[in-house]
Amino acid sequence: MKRILVIGLVLGSIILAGTVFGADLKVYAGAGLIKPMEEMRLLFEKEHNCAIDVHYGSSGELFGLLSMGQPCDVLIPGAAKYTLDALKNGWIIEKSIHKLVKHVPVIAVPKGNPAHITSLENLAKPGIRVALGDPKGPAIGRVAKKILAKNRLAEQVGKNVTVLAPTVNQLLIYVALEQVDAGIIWGDLVTWAEGEGKVDVVTIDRQKNIIKTIPTALTTHGRDNAFAKDFNTFLASSQGLSIWKKWGFEPCDR
Amino acid sequence: MRQVSLFRAVLVFLSFLITGTLLLAIGSFFMVPSWSVVWENLQSPELLFSLRLSLWTGALSTVLVMLFALPVGYTLSRFDFPFKGCVKAIVDLPVAFPELVLGLCLLLCFGQSFLGKWLQSMGIHVVFTQTGIVVAQFFTALPYAIRIMKSTYDYINPRLEFVSRSLGYSLFETYVNVTLPLAKSGIMAATVIAFARCIGTFGTVLILAGGSAGKTDTLPITLYLNISYGNMGMALTCGIILTIVSFLAIFVFEKAEAGL
Repeated sequence: MKRILVIGLVLGSIILAGTVFGADLKVYAGAGLIKPMEEMRLLFEKEHNCAIDVHYGSSGELFGLLSMGQPCDVLIPGAAKYTLDALKNGWIIEKSIHKLVKHVPVIAVPKGNPAHITSLENLAKPGIRVALGDPKGPAIGRVAKKILAKNRLAEQVGKNVTVLAPTVNQLLIYVALEQVDAGIIWGDLVTWAEGEGKVDVVTIDRQKNIIKTIPTALTTHGRDNAFAKDFNTFLASSQGLSIWKKWGFEPCDR
Repeated sequence: MRQVSLFRAVLVFLSFLITGTLLLAIGSFFMVPSWSVVWENLQSPELLFSLRLSLWTGALSTVLVMLFALPVGYTLSRFDFPFKGCVKAIVDLPVAFPELVLGLCLLLCFGQSFLGKWLQSMGIHVVFTQTGIVVAQFFTALPYAIRIMKSTYDYINPRLEFVSRSLGYSLFETYVNVTLPLAKSGIMAATVIAFARCIGTFGTVLILAGGSAGKTDTLPITLYLNISYGNMGMALTCGIILTIVSFLAIFVFEKAEAGL
């Protein structure tokens, strides 16, 4: 019994080490994209018989890793701003940028909407507990700040903000566990939790909202990597887009 | 004879190997950033805020932890009572718990629950506040302090307490005048470890207090936030301060242990 356990452990660590160190392709993706990205990674690995290592993090973190010269072949952040900034710094190949899908902010409320939130303005009502993303960390934090500023609600809603969460996922937990009355979060992310019946969605009027696009792009590091080129195209292919749609993302108009 | 020395050589080699690797890992922390960046970050209001917050919450939590660790450690060491094994196991549980799990448990317990609402009606808000930081640190550090106090009391010969009792002192008088002075080094060690644990608590504080920048970000949270901002200079500066705090704590702990 003990021997089997030891052999299993050794084999397990070899396989694990193999996938980490022997990756043919290194991808950085926003933490909120994990579900569709994982499905596409598995599919691509099977079809091309290769190993992909995807690092998920907040868009700010991914940008920081790139700036430190960490190896990355394909970059898919939570908003186009990060790809464009990376392009300015000469880390991205301009021709390889594909717009993929829309990232639509919505108001997430606990199941049953206990505080009766129906609009963006409701977030300013006295006594409402609001959770937002940290404006400097995840892309949703920066966008939420801009939406409130655009609608002249920054000050009033600011008084109601009880927590600035460092990641989107933490934001979702606080809404789902009813620790806050509402939070501004990506619509696609909420569709997964909504499927499990934990949160309800209140949409933000189109003209009041700020809708982001998610791009994919090759980095200069991945220029000569054939897998990277194929993966970058695959994400934007019709097969890829159908997976994005399945997880609640809206494809960009072409 | 030769076999024994080979055995000894291998053990010493292994000890040096692991120490060397650790030293390299900790050293690289100090080698990467430029000192001008560290110095600049050390003076930033953001870091000073989180340092001050870490120090006062850590100190307050440590005092609370010791107030509970002293009696609970003594109870577990000296008395027999029903369900003692059960109590010991539950008190110890957070040692093995991942901090994030403990954070979620506390969030559910102090959030929109019966207990949370009752505390809120008394004006005590735990979730997403600095009070929450203290609560999170308290529950994370408590089991370590209780363990150290229990083993400290275990090493104190009960005969000394019996002598005091036979001379007519009450249980309480005996505890204060005989047991506590004998447990001095253990109390010192437990306090230092509890403080280091409080300062270093990450996951529990992140979930319960929310980790909002400029409000509930203690040093480990500021470190994490700055990694997610891509601001490595500040992250490394926080790391360096935390390393120094841990180093001092372990140094004092070793000193106290030598006096046991």
